[in-house]
Amino acid sequence: MKNGERRLAPDAMDRWPEERLAKFHLHKIRQLLRHVYRQLPFYRQRLARAKVDPEQVKTLGDLARIPTFSKQDVLQEIRRQGRFDFGLETIARRDPAVLCMTSGTLGSSFLYLPRKWRALRGDSLLRAYWWAGLRPGMRMLMAAPAWHSLAVQESRLIERVGVSTVVPWGTFLPRNAGNFIDTISDAKPDFVSIFLPMLFAILAECRRRGAKPATVFKSVQSILAVGAPMTPRSRQQLVRELGVGDIFEGLGNPEGLTAMECASHCGHHIFVDCCFVEIVDPKSGAPLPAGQRGNVVITTLIPHGSIFLRYDTEDLGTILPGACACGKSWPRMEVYDRRANELQISGQRIVPYDVRVCLDELPELVNLPFAVVRGKNKMDRLTLLMQKPASGNLEEIRVRIANLLRKQLNVEATQEWAEELPQRWKGVTVIEEKDWRGARV
Amino acid sequence: MNRIQRLLQRAAKASLYRKKFAGLKPRALRDLRSFSATIPPTRLEELAAETLKSAASLSPRLCAGRGPRAIFQLEYDTQPALYLALDRADLRRYVEVLKFCWSLVGLRKGDRVAIFDYGTSPLSYLAASSFTPYLDRGAADLLGCLPICNDGVANMSPRAVEILRYVRPRVFFIRHDCLHALAMEIERQGLRLADYTQALVAAENESLLSDAERSSFEKRLGVPIYRLLRIDAAMFLAMECPRCRMLHTRRDSYFVETLAEGNDAAENPLVITNWFARNSPTVRYLSQVRGSLKPSGCPRGPKDLRIAV
Repeated sequence: MKNGERRLAPDAMDRWPEERLAKFHLHKIRQLLRHVYRQLPFYRQRLARAKVDPEQVKTLGDLARIPTFSKQDVLQEIRRQGRFDFGLETIARRDPAVLCMTSGTLGSSFLYLPRKWRALRGDSLLRAYWWAGLRPGMRMLMAAPAWHSLAVQESRLIERVGVSTVVPWGTFLPRNAGNFIDTISDAKPDFVSIFLPMLFAILAECRRRGAKPATVFKSVQSILAVGAPMTPRSRQQLVRELGVGDIFEGLGNPEGLTAMECASHCGHHIFVDCCFVEIVDPKSGAPLPAGQRGNVVITTLIPHGSIFLRYDTEDLGTILPGACACGKSWPRMEVYDRRANELQISGQRIVPYDVRVCLDELPELVNLPFAVVRGKNKMDRLTLLMQKPASGNLEEIRVRIANLLRKQLNVEATQEWAEELPQRWKGVTVIEEKDWRGARV
Repeated sequence: MNRIQRLLQRAAKASLYRKKFAGLKPRALRDLRSFSATIPPTRLEELAAETLKSAASLSPRLCAGRGPRAIFQLEYDTQPALYLALDRADLRRYVEVLKFCWSLVGLRKGDRVAIFDYGTSPLSYLAASSFTPYLDRGAADLLGCLPICNDGVANMSPRAVEILRYVRPRVFFIRHDCLHALAMEIERQGLRLADYTQALVAAENESLLSDAERSSFEKRLGVPIYRLLRIDAAMFLAMECPRCRMLHTRRDSYFVETLAEGNDAAENPLVITNWFARNSPTVRYLSQVRGSLKPSGCPRGPKDLRIAV
């Protein structure tokens, strides 16, 4: 390892034993509690209402006494006060800041992100990019959605690592896929950071142009993709099709969750230096053990800018049991989908990710777009709408899909083929029955 | 050596200009008059054609630079695509021009400012050091403002309105092609825009809102609309002055000429020479924007370079 690389290489925190991590978390959370209680009206009121004195939180288990809140609470408070800053932001006037927006799937809110936040989060995220192979002297493609907190962190880590960066014109909308292809072909980046749906839009545009994806991505050693869950087979297929060294998936949310894959690709290591994650029972709110699926609740550990303390992300996730083959001790998690996308079919709770895993068993269907249709009333069958594969006997494939869904998810399925899913459904995996029927008419 | 000679010497390191200036003696060019008379303008099509020829390099204007760079794909419909490479020093000087534009439109310490444009637009990437690698200080950092950006996509107008409602920026920068959608959304929600912002600034690359369009939107929206001229290939920015209603820019950053077309037109294409760009020198770039140069003397910027469009 060269001197510069040695200076940047991640420290040993990702190998700390569990007890040391727990001690670290408790210390950080107690500090944070004191801070928010003293400084931030939003939390002072919430803690007072819940009759929680920050000094009484003496174990990580005590944290469960603090009620969770969700995006709806945030949006309600913004509307009630008529302002973006409603009391969960630490605002230090001397520290320059930017405002970013969260994405609009549940409604948009605002994040106040000062330079100190950028420095701590960017330096933390550097570890993930390092795991994925980013090194000094490389060229990295970054998209530039200046509205997104990831861009704020990426700009910091790019400076720290000392890589050149290239940015395509436009944004993540599929219509900009051509710009991404041009930029990758022309600038020949070694490393690409991208939104997963854009990667699929690039593949579609390659097909339209008659270009081989592996030729476009010839210079690329690694891709770090965020924005949608990727199944193991989907990742392997993408690696083959793009001809890149590896693809690493990152998951997170603007409110503070960061979890990234290592080279083992067995779940996402939670970046415990910046956030604390709990998985709780959706009904009772009680903490769930590793291996059980529940609501993802996060607590940011950085006392700068917007602070989220026991924030219910409304995602469904699991902490994966056991140790990772890579030897890192940071716990691993999987996030499957938004809770709003969960369907109950014949007593089974499933999300589109579960369906995707089944579909990916069939090589013809890997990465092909699909959607599940949600009925207004109780559902006793899964209705699946799927883009036709390029080859294969459709009837045969339909039967194989039905068998797989029956065997793995214990549901019966009705399935329809479409030449192509409507543009407005791209990236949308659950569609309402009324929209589906409307589209068929 | 004067700055013309320094610019030409630097530019000659790039393949585009090396060919263009072959046989030229930079030392013979002692003033702007001889510079204009001797150096042929560079057209967009020429940049694209030379990019195609210089397959090994990302841009035919690229000079050897120090340290890593931020490279931006430019907003032009050329084939091949065009790129701009900037290092820390380029970014530092470019941002001074954006700061100048922000100051002219009245932004000052403590203000909030919204930018409804893509992250690859200089209006966004020069706004704050947090948005862009190697940008030491953005316009917001220099002036003490709080910026917020969102992609300038017309169907994201509801987000633009949320920014207006809850951030209440003093000035709202917006792409021309989003003005109509914003006006529709404001009307749909029954809002009075003046309750949320003091002015809009409309901008797009190598294009300006016409006077007729501007007054129609001003009537519809009830706030003043100023225009900002972006010529991204030349790293050029000029802001419409709220007082004299002409475009102002920094005299120490650019040399601006008009290219007479021999038909006595009142307005001719603007030709831009950039004094600060080191990695991607711009020498007499012929823009697609027409205007005429006016004498300095506006009280808002007595020494500024002024352009009527």
